[in-house]
Amino acid sequence: MLPILSLIVLLPLAGAIAIALLPNDRTTWPRWVAAAVSASVLALATYAMVTFRPAGGLQFVEKFDWVPAANIQYYMGLDGLSVLLVALSALLSLLAVIASWKMDKRPKFYFAMLLVLATGTNGVFSALDFILFYVFWELVLVPMYFLIAVWGGPRREYAAIKFFLYTLLGSVFMLVGILAIYLHPQGGTFDMIALVDRGFPANFQWWVFAAFFLGFAVKVPVWPLHTWLPDAHVEAPTAASVLLAGILLKMGTYGFLRVSLPILPEAWKSWSWFIALLAVISIVYGAAVAFAQTDLKKLVAYSSVSHMGFAMLGIAAGTAVGLDGAQAVNISHGFLSAMLFLCVGIVYERAHTRQIAEISGVAGQMPVYAGMFAFASFASLGLPGLSGFVGEFLALLGSWGSTLSYWYTIAAAIGVLVGAAYMLWMIQRVILGEPSHSIADAPDISVREASTLVPLAVLSLVMGVWWASTLQFFEPYSEALAKVLGG
Amino acid sequence: MRVGLEAFLLLSAVLFSIGVYGAVSKRSAVQVIMSLELISIAVMVNMVAFARFVTPDRGTGWAFTLFAMVVSAAEVGVGLALVLAIYRRRHTAELPELDELKG
Amino acid sequence: MDWILAIPALPTLSFALLLVMSRQVRMRMLWLPVASIFGSLILSIVAFAQVWPGGSEEAIWHAGWEFAELAGKPVDLSVALDPVAAVMLLVVTIVGAAVQVYSLGYMHREEREGWYFAVLSLFTAAMLMLVLSDSLLLTFMMWEMMGLCSYLLIGFWFENEGPRKASQKAFLTTRVGDLGFLIALFAIWGVVGSFSYEEVLHTVGDWPAAVAAVAGFGLLWAAMGKSAQVPLQVWLPDAMAGPTPASALIHAATMVAAGVYVVARMLPVLMVTPWIMQTTLVVGLTTALLGGLLAAVQHDVKKVLAYSTISQLGLMFVALGAANAEVALFHLTTHAFFKSLLFLGAGVIIHAAHTQDMRFMGGLRRHMPITTVTFTIGSLALAAVFPLSGFFSKDEIVATLLHEHHYVSAGVVLLASLVTAFYVARMLFRVFTGPEQTKHLSEGHMSMLAPMSVLAFITLVLGFASPTFANFLGGHGVWPDPFVAAISMTSAGAGLALGWWFYGRRSAVVNTAIWKRRLGYAYDALAQKLYFDAVYDHVFIRPFMLGATLLAVFDMRRLDGFVNLVAATWVRICTISWRVDVTAIDGVVNGVASAAKGTGSWMRGLQNGVIQRYQRLVLGAVIVLVLVVFMVKGV
Repeated sequence: MLPILSLIVLLPLAGAIAIALLPNDRTTWPRWVAAAVSASVLALATYAMVTFRPAGGLQFVEKFDWVPAANIQYYMGLDGLSVLLVALSALLSLLAVIASWKMDKRPKFYFAMLLVLATGTNGVFSALDFILFYVFWELVLVPMYFLIAVWGGPRREYAAIKFFLYTLLGSVFMLVGILAIYLHPQGGTFDMIALVDRGFPANFQWWVFAAFFLGFAVKVPVWPLHTWLPDAHVEAPTAASVLLAGILLKMGTYGFLRVSLPILPEAWKSWSWFIALLAVISIVYGAAVAFAQTDLKKLVAYSSVSHMGFAMLGIAAGTAVGLDGAQAVNISHGFLSAMLFLCVGIVYERAHTRQIAEISGVAGQMPVYAGMFAFASFASLGLPGLSGFVGEFLALLGSWGSTLSYWYTIAAAIGVLVGAAYMLWMIQRVILGEPSHSIADAPDISVREASTLVPLAVLSLVMGVWWASTLQFFEPYSEALAKVLGG
Repeated sequence: MRVGLEAFLLLSAVLFSIGVYGAVSKRSAVQVIMSLELISIAVMVNMVAFARFVTPDRGTGWAFTLFAMVVSAAEVGVGLALVLAIYRRRHTAELPELDELKG
Repeated sequence: MDWILAIPALPTLSFALLLVMSRQVRMRMLWLPVASIFGSLILSIVAFAQVWPGGSEEAIWHAGWEFAELAGKPVDLSVALDPVAAVMLLVVTIVGAAVQVYSLGYMHREEREGWYFAVLSLFTAAMLMLVLSDSLLLTFMMWEMMGLCSYLLIGFWFENEGPRKASQKAFLTTRVGDLGFLIALFAIWGVVGSFSYEEVLHTVGDWPAAVAAVAGFGLLWAAMGKSAQVPLQVWLPDAMAGPTPASALIHAATMVAAGVYVVARMLPVLMVTPWIMQTTLVVGLTTALLGGLLAAVQHDVKKVLAYSTISQLGLMFVALGAANAEVALFHLTTHAFFKSLLFLGAGVIIHAAHTQDMRFMGGLRRHMPITTVTFTIGSLALAAVFPLSGFFSKDEIVATLLHEHHYVSAGVVLLASLVTAFYVARMLFRVFTGPEQTKHLSEGHMSMLAPMSVLAFITLVLGFASPTFANFLGGHGVWPDPFVAAISMTSAGAGLALGWWFYGRRSAVVNTAIWKRRLGYAYDALAQKLYFDAVYDHVFIRPFMLGATLLAVFDMRRLDGFVNLVAATWVRICTISWRVDVTAIDGVVNGVASAAKGTGSWMRGLQNGVIQRYQRLVLGAVIVLVLVVFMVKGV
């Protein structure tokens, strides 16, 4: 039996090392190695997804002692919650490599960082031992820091350090929580699955939840801990933004779904109204601030804050439907934010500006590209038939049917309206209208660029039309978790 | 009155002291060399006295004295030659002025 | 009977194929969407025949697709064919076919004609699915999809600012309505556990009152948005910035009717809560009257028709508010035909006169006979003149109101009829009579006139099918009561006469100016669309934009500023720590080095190069040494 998960997680690392050993003068080799490795990982992940049995619980398990003296195991496995996230991570890693095909500044370093990042993200979703989880969690920070700090925009050092320290601060609290659980008499293990619903005392749970909350909430990001995101996105290169929004943010919600809610259900009960409040604020605030942006990338960044708010709403709701919604938002936002950032990158390469005031009429100059951009925008604002609607609808439906007040759902629904507002406003300014100077003579989308967008569009459409395709993975986990939370 | 060993030793000590005093505190290099000679002489007197009064049957003391005289003479020659050379160079033979080896 | 699925599938396929073609290929493949709609039309006729003679509300065919499982409950996207759906299928496909044929001529020289037809196909598919839908979730999805198509079509000429703004306004305003739909969906799922029409309608009697109220009002609010009822009517007049045949299909006959349709389907839900029914009635009356008044002061012929549509939809809401779904649907049907006819005619008229402003039109009847005849038929139907279809459908509404003892409402409807007839006459006289203001007026192309003629014919004869229609839908169809008919005709006649008085006589132009002055504020208010847009702008839009900017500034300065402050404070602490390190700790290290250096310097001073100094040192050292030895060893 192939250790699929270990391969998925460690192949990119091996690839990074291989790239490091390449001769310095062969500037085109790194990207081919990166592409080959990413494609193989994607193939493995797809295989895992296709052979996964939704009702079969934990699969592809690899479990053996790693540091017996400290009770740390090398424990990996996939269940409904994580299998699609791993596949998403693999897909976006490959697309990021393709999108960076023209990278000519220190390509070895760059592609090696992309691969290390892939190891980190794949590992986070596969790890079922707390220490292993923490290792991968922290591992993600380093390549992302470099990607922003070396290949970023004018304020890249500031943005990279801010991202790194802010997230690290949160994860430190997470470590405290992990250790607290381990040292508690009822804990004594790092096994994330065994710790589910252990029955820790309520007071203890509350504090540990708070610790984990800080760690995960910074990552999601939940208002008001979101301010690192706009700067990080604006300064990061396109591929880094794609991975940051597409997969790194999901680590936060994954953390809630994998750690906070199952292990600390009593605490969740006390915290859920607060999480719901922050979620609703994120949704509406994020959308409103997005509307006021002049930088296209910042607009998309704030829209991420807004969308992840829906996931948090589903988490706060804690009903099976709400949890389905949270997971659906994870996957859908992964597709759509990646598409949006790729689109922004494409127009930036041509117009050399991200200012909305300076770009207009893309539809007249680059019609195919405009179509894809519009697709991503409409999907993002929640048009039914595309993936965005699934997550938003289920999160709202879930929160309506939960113990939370109806006003949370109503306020969040207003967020749907505001979401439409900023997206349409952006479409009106950038896609429609007369073509601006900045994109005069700009070529339409290339085959390579389209190859990054089309798979995401197709997946979004499939997910939006055929809900069962993704829901079948989420349902068993959601129902089990809802039982834990309700009981 | 019998002139004994003590008298010669006393003489030697006095000569030695004068010599040391001169070597240490005289300005002129020639004076210092003269003082060094005095020291030598004091040592020689000492040796002769000991040879006469303590070991008269062995000629070690007298031989040693002869050696000392010869070496002393050569030493004076060399020393004065050095002083001459220095004088020709530096137009002075005053020791305090010859401080090129200052640290 | 699963071939019924081909009815929406054909246009979907047409859209999908057109989408991936290049612009040039599309231009040569325009027969594809037209063929697909005609295919759907034929199939709709067959489907209708299958349902005939109807008479019940039961579906004769069902199909479902379990497309998800939520919390263990299956969620179906299901479709069904019952008499109502069968009728609507015909309406949509007939009008759709007419519009597409017309568009071949009207949009002939458009560069992006292919894209136009693609979106038109997608829209048609969505509307057909909505009509067949048996699941509220599917309905909602198609509802939004139509909103997207409407956005794309209104904003077809997106290079210009007007269409861009109008399409955005339409989408956002209907979205406000859609929030109601969403909340209704949530409430319904909560009590029913399913979105299927059947289960919803069967269990509605058992719902808690609050749920029924929320669901009912949510659906009503959504319908008000989609069907442009007051206060959400503001998007429809602006939507006239799109191509006229699109307006004919979407903003006259089908999409705007979807609101009425869904409420008609879900009427049992609304009926549980009396105040919702009353609200429906009041909204309908208000809109009918206001729409009519606003139509009467428009100069743009398309705007007249737009407000007219709003007004007529209001009448349908009135019927719904009176709990008579069949009457509402009949008016929906007749309106679909004569309104689309009017819009298509308007397209021809505008094309011929090179203007949309009726003040610069005139005398078209002398050169455009077919247009004149068809347009007049449509207009008189709108004014509810016997024997046209519009008369029958409106008459039934009045009859229903009187039957239910809603006398005031009936009065308002009659007043609205009068106003309708007035602006109809105004339009007819302005456009077709009087001096010609355009040179070289000529009749439209056959591709445009043929559909218009077909629609005119239907308008002529459909009225006589009135009782049959009601029976078909499971209601009780009767011929119009003569008394009621007389009242209706009187109001219509009065309106027409008034219109003739102002616009039909030679001296009309002078009169209107005087009357405008006499009406003063009232006229101004109407001319300003009753300030709805201005109010919305100042109460919602500007505060929102201001709020958004303030929040953005807050986010950047205060929130992020706080983060930066934390970071800056930390940097200060670290700097202080560094200073301490440098001065105190490093100071010690440096101090030691200085001491060593100092000592070394002093010792160096001993070496002054003077030999006698060394001699003295040695001498001293020897003496000390000897003394030490003596002391240690004894003398």
